[in-house]
Amino acid sequence: MDAMDCRLARDLLTDYQDGALDAADAAALAAHLRGCGECADCDGSLLAVREALRGLPPDPAPPELLPGILAAVEGEDRDVRTDPRPGRADATRPFLSRYRLPLEAAAAVLLFASVYWYQRTSTPPGHPPSGLSSGVSSEAGKASPSRTMTAKEGADELPPPAARLPRGNPKTAKKKEAPAPAKPRTWTAADLPSVPAILASTGSERIVPFAPFPGTAADPARPGAPAFGKRESAEAEGGADSRLSRSFSPPPTRLLRPLPYGRDIVVDVKPESREGAEERIAGAAMRLGGIFERFDRGTGEAAPGPAGTVRVILPEVAAARFLEEVGRIGTIPPEGMPAATDLPAGPRPGTVAYAVRIRVR
Amino acid sequence: MERPGGKGRPVDLLVEEFRRGAPGAFEAIVRAHQDRVYSFCARMLSDREDALDAAQEVFLSAWRNLAEFRGEAALSTWLLRIAANRCLNRIRRRKSLAEREAPWPEPFGEAEDGPVFQPAGVEADRPDRLAESCEMGKILAEALSRLDPGSRWMVLLSDVEGFTYEEIASLAEVPVGTVKSRLHRARMAMRRLLSPVA
Repeated sequence: MDAMDCRLARDLLTDYQDGALDAADAAALAAHLRGCGECADCDGSLLAVREALRGLPPDPAPPELLPGILAAVEGEDRDVRTDPRPGRADATRPFLSRYRLPLEAAAAVLLFASVYWYQRTSTPPGHPPSGLSSGVSSEAGKASPSRTMTAKEGADELPPPAARLPRGNPKTAKKKEAPAPAKPRTWTAADLPSVPAILASTGSERIVPFAPFPGTAADPARPGAPAFGKRESAEAEGGADSRLSRSFSPPPTRLLRPLPYGRDIVVDVKPESREGAEERIAGAAMRLGGIFERFDRGTGEAAPGPAGTVRVILPEVAAARFLEEVGRIGTIPPEGMPAATDLPAGPRPGTVAYAVRIRVR
Repeated sequence: MERPGGKGRPVDLLVEEFRRGAPGAFEAIVRAHQDRVYSFCARMLSDREDALDAAQEVFLSAWRNLAEFRGEAALSTWLLRIAANRCLNRIRRRKSLAEREAPWPEPFGEAEDGPVFQPAGVEADRPDRLAESCEMGKILAEALSRLDPGSRWMVLLSDVEGFTYEEIASLAEVPVGTVKSRLHRARMAMRRLLSPVA
């Protein structure tokens, strides 16, 4: 007897055709199909539908499909090549476009390095070579006619770059110049260019004035040469001294030039004592171990009124003695020597500067 | 049953050529698969222009993502998956716009407008016999177009393209049992549409 109704049998037909039913259900369904014509016909027609669908051939694609696809792909490919988003168009961007930023950075670094190297190695025209290195660059040698070393010699004995640098370590530089003692320098004070300090290179060494020996006077014929450099020029003529270039090298910048400083002192001198008052004040300063920095002779006349100014720098310990000496030259009125004039006010610690203003009374 | 991918090996070589940037490789891929993809889209959408647009979208998507195709399935399977998703999206869009094409019969019930094929004689009423005629393709396509789209694509993928139940379940994101029951009801509806005596 058939235990399966038609509704259940038809629900199981798909699994039956797929072989997914277990043996008991498959046997029961097979028995039902043998006894039920309608379900058997349904089974047959369902199987036929599946086989018909399986053999259904594909419809040919319209001829316009392929050109449309290729055109769409080409358009999208063009969009991707021009897409600025990262990763979208990197592979197709031009080389310069892809590496523009790194190239710009490298160019900036190269430019900076070139300028830095040029500043470190170049010597301004007319600037004497550093005394720390006898084997200076050939360019500096050509610029100085009194130099005995030829360019070829200079090239032959060109020291390593580190020794050519004006700012090299003095100890190291002295070691470097040791192999060339037979070529003495011929730089003299007369060869010094009267280059304004403002034109000096920042590559030169810093100039720090120092006090000359007592009794040394400034050379009035050379206004560009400071008085305290005279001793160095004399030493340089007698033999190489590393301080030569320091003393004769112009200040590198305006900032390093002496600035107005010190205290003002007014000294009243009689008309008959006016002549030579500046020299006497300067001599007093130099006898006390100081220097006079500048004369300002004013009108130079003996008429009553302001006559001139002498600026001096001297050791702090000699300040009282200097004021005493100035008091012998003339009379310092009470208003001419403020209470603070004895305070240190020099260009460096331990020094004091005075601007002695001469007044004819 | 011929599995999808069985014919895909030569085309896989085309995929490799495409990845290497060989000119014409993608055109060759399109030529090899355009009939199958277009037919699927046409049977799913029952509209020539929609099918053209959908097929174009399928190949354009393939062009974009072919570099990521790992070859775990045949290229044809991969393309038909894309086509199924595209067509279902279009059908959903149609529904949302209330742009229904032909009136659907009651799901898996009796066709309101009767069977799509009237057999000429007693001996010719079996569908397998009818398939031999040149009109069988059109009749089947007409019957397919009357199925619910939610089941039509399953019938197309399972019975026409040879996808397994598991592959269809993975695409539909439903259990395999759900796929089987839907397919059964769709086949029964097809049988009723194709046979007036069913």
